Amino acid sequence: MKLAVFKSDYKTGGDIVDRLSAEKLGIIFVGNGIYHASVKDGGAADPIFQKNANFYVLAEDLEIRGFNASQVPANVKVVTYDDVVDLMFNDYEKIVWV
Amino acid sequence: MIKKLAFIVRSLPYKNEATRLALTHAIASQTVEIYLEDGDNVEPFLALVGDGVLCGLKNQSNKCYGITTMEQHITNALLLDLNVYYCKEDLERFGISEDQLVMDAESLGGDMKASIVPFSEIQAAMEAADHLQIF
Repeated sequence: MKLAVFKSDYKTGGDIVDRLSAEKLGIIFVGNGIYHASVKDGGAADPIFQKNANFYVLAEDLEIRGFNASQVPANVKVVTYDDVVDLMFNDYEKIVWV
Repeated sequence: MIKKLAFIVRSLPYKNEATRLALTHAIASQTVEIYLEDGDNVEPFLALVGDGVLCGLKNQSNKCYGITTMEQHITNALLLDLNVYYCKEDLERFGISEDQLVMDAESLGGDMKASIVPFSEIQAAMEAADHLQIF
């Protein structure tokens, strides 16, 4: 399946994300989930990036929290709300919210 | 008599109302003196610890959501001469430096500066407080 996961929290939900697998997996950081892509707790990259997935982060939610596109890892694509709608309709069959 | 009020923010900004409530309560606590007897007053302070230090980052943009930012609230708190402390250890954990943080309200004409202090100092301030609230 082609599965998109909206990750809207920072410190919770990692256990279920660890278990999810899909032929095509997308992880979209929104809300407080953007901290996965914008801070390094203890200096280390977030373990979620060990997943074999396409990573996205919502620009609007980065900006409200004082970050910008230059502060996220190169493997995370910064997307707008419009882009997210396109991802949902064109790239993934199932959508879950964690 | 001075009542010391501690407002401790440990939560991430946005998504829920905890941090916004902390900041608005801390700011509003300054106005309580109108209800007090002569000679009585309150002395609030705001401490950002744990994930709460991320509330103090500069350059928070409200252009998308049209809401007041935590940056604006912290600036207002400093403008009203509230003592604002950032936990040094938590800033180091996230690799956040002083220049990335709201440290003053100079842009609005305020004189108060925020402080970066070890958690032990925040702990001591909490122990000295008459009322302790953690958000």
